[in-house]
Amino acid sequence: MAESDYQLLDRYGVGDEAAFEELVKRHQKTIYDLAYRMLENHADAADLAQRTFVQAFLHHQSFRRESSFRTWLYQIGMNLCRNAIRDRARRAHEDVDELPLADSRDILAEVAGAELQDLLGRAIRTLPTRQREALVLRVYHNHAFVEIGMIMSCSEGTAKANYHHAVDRLRRALVSGEG
Amino acid sequence: MTCNEIKELTVPYLELDLEPSRVRDVTAHLDGCAGCRTEMETVRQVLVRVKGVAVPDPGDRFWNEFPGQVRRELARERPPIPSRLWKGISGWPMTLAASVLLLVGAWSLKGMLDQGPAPTPSQQRAVVQAPKARVDQPSAAEPDLPQLAEADWQEFWDEDPDMVLVDMASRLDRRTVDRLFRDI
Repeated sequence: MAESDYQLLDRYGVGDEAAFEELVKRHQKTIYDLAYRMLENHADAADLAQRTFVQAFLHHQSFRRESSFRTWLYQIGMNLCRNAIRDRARRAHEDVDELPLADSRDILAEVAGAELQDLLGRAIRTLPTRQREALVLRVYHNHAFVEIGMIMSCSEGTAKANYHHAVDRLRRALVSGEG
Repeated sequence: MTCNEIKELTVPYLELDLEPSRVRDVTAHLDGCAGCRTEMETVRQVLVRVKGVAVPDPGDRFWNEFPGQVRRELARERPPIPSRLWKGISGWPMTLAASVLLLVGAWSLKGMLDQGPAPTPSQQRAVVQAPKARVDQPSAAEPDLPQLAEADWQEFWDEDPDMVLVDMASRLDRRTVDRLFRDI
């Protein structure tokens, strides 16, 4: 039977490098996916996923194990995403010429060029950060709202409200074509 | 149910996140309301399309190299965690070794202090002429050396290394201690 994350974390705590490797491999795709959906390009997503694991292992002794290790990683990753989005917005505000352009492997380019899909992509990008977080965690990572609340540091009800607002906003964007 | 109530329940209905009684109520309303059916279908399509947005896979090479990159970055952020080797020799053996080194240093220092300044040629001659006196009768410069035989110390070491240090310290009088640590 596979070892639990807690067991691997204990082994890592006494210097077991194989446990470190196993923990990273077990969660790397999940955290990268989260980062990509929030930041929309490979370079930023890879960097953010890496920083998420570094932070987790640097501070693993302060992890109180009140949630799963995976949820804890989500919390760290989502906080870093939030900061990155804020920094992007600040840079964009300071210098319009340096607005981050969508990567050539943009998330939406993968879906053959339907106009509706572009519209949807623009609408997702312009969602308020909290709504977007709830949408990503619910739609792509299949979390229950109680867990989304834990990751977003809010109540289950707030997580639910953010998600519903996000879906409603996307619906209106698609119906009216406002993007 | 009113159309506004249905609107509030659209997403939970589509995600099967409603109690069975509520599901029956919504379904009954949809059967008789074309407007809400259209609305429901729109939201369903939005969810399907959002779900259909995939993240491109960066490839096996990226995934294989990823743990190593994290490890390197982690090493840059902080010194490596203690290995088993260091863990094995840490603890009381390390403390004991440090104590022994300190003790040897203290004894050496005491020896140097007891010898005083370098002897004059006449003093050296006197030592050569009467070597036996120094061995049999300890000079006044070393009155407080512990007089335990090697075997006695070995017994202490075997029992409790810490107690050896305590015992040795207790055998040094105040004057010697002051002299030993005068320059520290």
